[in-house]
Amino acid sequence: MNFRRFLGLDIAREKYAFVKDALVGHVSAQKAADRWVKTTCGYCSVGCGMMLGLRDDKVVTSRGNPDHPVNRGKLCPKGLAEHYVLEAENRAVSPLLRHEGLLTPVSWNDAMKIMAAKFRNVAEKHGSQAIGVISTGQMVTEEFYTLGKLVQLGIGTSNFDGNTTLCMSTAVSGYKRSFGSDGPPGAYEDMTKADVVLLIGANIAENHPILCQHLDANPAKTLIVADPRVTKTAMMADIYLPVKPRSDLALINGIAHILIRDGLIDREYIRDHTRGFDELCEFLETYDSEYVSGITGLSTESIHKVAHLYGKANAAFIGWTMGVNHSSKGTETVNAINNLALLTGNVGRVGGTPFSITGQCNAMGTRETGFTSSLPGYRKFESAADREELAALWGISADRIPAERGLAYPDIISAVLKKKIRALWIIATNPLVSFPNIDVLKQALDELEFLVVQDCFHPTPTTQLADLVLPAASWGEKEGTYTNSERRVSKVNAAVPPPGDAKSDFAIFLQLAGELGCYDELFPGWETPCDAFEEWKRVSEGRLCDYSGITYEALEEVGGIQWPFPKNANSSPEATRRLYADGEFETDDGRARFFCADWEPFPEQPNADFPFVLNTGRTVEHWHTRTKTGAVAILQQLSPRAWLEMNPMDARRLSLRPHDLVDVVSARGRVRRVELRVTEVIAPGQVFAPFHFAEWNINEVTQDIFDPISREPNYKQCAVRVELSSAAQE
Amino acid sequence: MNLPLLQQATEDGEQYRLTPAGIVPRRDRCAIAAEGSNLTPSRLPLAGEQYRFHLDMESCIGCKCCVVACNEQNGNPADIQWRRVGEIEGGTYPDTVRHYLSMGCNHCLEPTCMTGCPVNAYTKDALTGIVLHSAERCIGCQYCTWNCSYGVPQYNPERGVVGKCDMCYGRLTDGREPACVSACPEEAIRIEIVNTSEWRRGYAAQANAPGLPSADDSISTTRVSLDTAMLQNISRVDTSQVEPEHPHWTLIFMTVFTQLAVGAIAAMWASQAFARVAIARVPAAIIVLIAILALCASTLHLGRPIYAFRALSMWRRSWLSREVLFFSLFAAAAIVYAGLLWVHSGSSLYAGACATVLGFAAVYASARLYTVAARPMWNSSHTFAEFYLSAAFTGTMVSALFTSATSNALLQMTAWAALAIAAQQAVKFAWLWHSRVFELRAAGELLRYRFLGIFLTRLYTLPALAAVLLLLDRQLWVRIACIAVAIALELAGRYLFFVSVVPKNMAAPYLRQRRAA
Repeated sequence: MNFRRFLGLDIAREKYAFVKDALVGHVSAQKAADRWVKTTCGYCSVGCGMMLGLRDDKVVTSRGNPDHPVNRGKLCPKGLAEHYVLEAENRAVSPLLRHEGLLTPVSWNDAMKIMAAKFRNVAEKHGSQAIGVISTGQMVTEEFYTLGKLVQLGIGTSNFDGNTTLCMSTAVSGYKRSFGSDGPPGAYEDMTKADVVLLIGANIAENHPILCQHLDANPAKTLIVADPRVTKTAMMADIYLPVKPRSDLALINGIAHILIRDGLIDREYIRDHTRGFDELCEFLETYDSEYVSGITGLSTESIHKVAHLYGKANAAFIGWTMGVNHSSKGTETVNAINNLALLTGNVGRVGGTPFSITGQCNAMGTRETGFTSSLPGYRKFESAADREELAALWGISADRIPAERGLAYPDIISAVLKKKIRALWIIATNPLVSFPNIDVLKQALDELEFLVVQDCFHPTPTTQLADLVLPAASWGEKEGTYTNSERRVSKVNAAVPPPGDAKSDFAIFLQLAGELGCYDELFPGWETPCDAFEEWKRVSEGRLCDYSGITYEALEEVGGIQWPFPKNANSSPEATRRLYADGEFETDDGRARFFCADWEPFPEQPNADFPFVLNTGRTVEHWHTRTKTGAVAILQQLSPRAWLEMNPMDARRLSLRPHDLVDVVSARGRVRRVELRVTEVIAPGQVFAPFHFAEWNINEVTQDIFDPISREPNYKQCAVRVELSSAAQE
Repeated sequence: MNLPLLQQATEDGEQYRLTPAGIVPRRDRCAIAAEGSNLTPSRLPLAGEQYRFHLDMESCIGCKCCVVACNEQNGNPADIQWRRVGEIEGGTYPDTVRHYLSMGCNHCLEPTCMTGCPVNAYTKDALTGIVLHSAERCIGCQYCTWNCSYGVPQYNPERGVVGKCDMCYGRLTDGREPACVSACPEEAIRIEIVNTSEWRRGYAAQANAPGLPSADDSISTTRVSLDTAMLQNISRVDTSQVEPEHPHWTLIFMTVFTQLAVGAIAAMWASQAFARVAIARVPAAIIVLIAILALCASTLHLGRPIYAFRALSMWRRSWLSREVLFFSLFAAAAIVYAGLLWVHSGSSLYAGACATVLGFAAVYASARLYTVAARPMWNSSHTFAEFYLSAAFTGTMVSALFTSATSNALLQMTAWAALAIAAQQAVKFAWLWHSRVFELRAAGELLRYRFLGIFLTRLYTLPALAAVLLLLDRQLWVRIACIAVAIALELAGRYLFFVSVVPKNMAAPYLRQRRAA
């Protein structure tokens, strides 16, 4: 404290002054901008349009773009504070190589040479499939497209997946099975046009708050929310269905049973556009209301009421997120949801759609272009025609394109454990916090010959284990596009250069391609993301996700365009587009499929040693593993610590009091000293904890069991016990 | 005052949005409208009216966009939030309800921040009724932070002054919504016009809500919408963990030593007046010096000590101003008294009487300023009892050192004062412990659990000290040791007074950032 401040002469007048900003009016002088850069938010998949305000080439404010059709100027608290991410202290600023046990700065040239040499070495010794790559949903589409080619054709491994498998691969698998292709059919506008909105395992008020605006714009709707926990969204509902954990599939089958029994189905639509109806009818006979009531814990009356509301609606919207996806029966549950939509003809109709609300800002981009679970442009590995078409577009021989998908994320990890994969490249994700049953992952990473972690932040729990850390540019420092949940492509722009020696992921991929000697073949003359975008437009042309009519200029102009938007499209860029409006699906015969998905109890039932069912989830202030939001002071202030929710009845039984520090213990591990929250939001017998906090990492106890089809982890249910933390740990 | 406030409203409804001007919204493209013009009034308040916040708790989803937007608008650091979001919860699973209270300043009809302010830093805007705070006039005494039942004014240590929500006065003047209103995705916050005399008659039903302190303290103007018929047992979620308040060490020293000086001067004067004892001149001067040092030290409590003199200015309204005034007069009279004693003037008796009366008045003002509605534990006769008993206890003991003739009588008084303090503390604790008022009960719990060691040590040492004074041979070193113990006990007692008070406040979230150690 200086002397003038001590006396009180100095009251930091300049810092706390206000000015009239030309665009935003009266505002703190700290936040006044001299220029603005339009971009798209880099957190979730809602895809809010944003304006970054810069003063003296530093980003000082982030504001909602009032002109963007998704958010109309609003942002969630993470978005409003997103500019602080760019000045976070723990940014990765230099390539780091492990030398005598310590991560030591090296030049980019050395880093890339070493990485290429190590990869070559592993490929020579064990074959190129011994290299694994785990990517993300956080990069721009252009980077996903580039990375896909680099990994599959340049490095030559198909053991390539993303953290999107922890997030929405279930929705992908479900859409593929029901409709023949990935791609959410609807639009946010459907929420404003539907008579009935059914949300299953989707806490949008917490996780996608800006979507609530679209619901609010539709006061006539009936909002039905199914969730085992009384979430903020459940409290908004007209009808709340407090289902038992993982009984969603039974509920959906029960609704389908009533729809068929009571004739609330669209027989014409079923006849013309679907297959498998008769088998479904037969299968659903067992799902009468009494059976479903026994599984879900709901009354037969409320199941009947909801089924009739859904069946009689002119347009019915079903939205879901992780409550459905984070399940070992997830894909089948998505198919059951799609069954409901198909039975009632609520696909591609205004207001009527089965709609997976996605997680990450550009999970959709990697689904479209990524070359992980499918070939770019939703092409199928299994289809020779698709492989040949793609090979022709790229001017390569078709046999270089794998005829089947490589290992999915959890299978890459188990291949590492089995020493089948010897080198791993992790990009823009933090599995040391996000992967289920973390100890297995830690053991696996120890087995590797070479671990490269590419991230905007260092140290993170994952970069600390790396042999090589590659510092990447973050959102706000690079250009490209994101696709949001409703297939709307929006532009992402750089406002500032990356810190230190950090580079955009795009530049890193091209440099590695140069080192590997595949740059000229795969990325001839590429310099900017626009080069990737132009090629991607050609590759997507004629596909469901047709980008060929989209240009960067048009994206800047209209603030987001929904695909498909082919060249010479007959609709305006701003128009709302839906998939399958004509009832023509992407299957061989153009018909959607019904699936008979039988309910099963979740794998690890509570028992005498572990009597509680643990549910995990999010809070509005934080994003994923908190590498970004943990660096933002205001968000930390608003949500400083993890907590464990427990019903008062259970707390009384265990003599636990609010704010007690407790350990959460499963057969796999122990999370220590979590602050207890005693609340009626959670049902007796269940507990809930957020998954954001590395310091209280709930994935120490979650179960590493995966959906057999999508390979998504079953994060939402496992058996735990709760103990008062011993004082000795203090 | 003639402001262009909101006059653009009639010309162009677009003006009210947190929108960079120059970008023309394309409203036709999407069903969700960002029209903001219905979120602020379309006209200026008339005579007898003012602006107020309306919070629709049914709509609020607790996303805290308003909090972040407010901090961004006002450039505040993360730990200062002029808008806060609290939680209340009730019901039984699955019929659970949780609501969120998003509150800035309530721009009260009778703002307690303003009436307590010793320097006139607060004004209630004549046109809009917005309670404005001037950082320039503020001296950082933080008395407003004790006076507000909602915890609205917050001290910024980086600046040395307080700050608070001004309903984004500057944005309203631009014809824009306040930042919180503009940021809310649920349109849960609005600005409305309220007729002040109607509100004064009927505020209770609309200004009070679960999780909020009674609007009676200051007549809050914020209107809260909540369908209370739907609620069962809804209550604050933040009451199970209460953190102690700041100890304010400078104020602990200031109050204990000024009370010691007042007590000692009064005891010396009484000895002089009634027992005809001659008062030694050096001790008298020392006591005056203690009083002056304590008063000077108290300026270090201020964020802006250089402007301490301004604290005198609002003596017509503020008890803090009156405290400063009476202690200044007491110090002046005490200096004169000590001076006259020094020169053995006969008129010292009159000066002593004067100093004694002013000292008693100053201690009254001192105690009176703590008795504010927003701090229920302080707002009782116990505060007066504690301050006067402290003066009697330490003052008589110190003066007994210098007045051998009356020292026996004085030390007997000391002993009885010590016993009285112990009794008063016991009574006070019982009152807190059995109270139905949350803030009082929570204060009792702080004493019972968090500060039990200090509380009991003081409670048991006081009678022991009395016994020593009444029963033992009182050699000089015993008496000096007793004085040291007595001062330590009073400092400890005053520490408890500051840290164990639980202020009224709006409900907070369940988890709060812990104060840095």
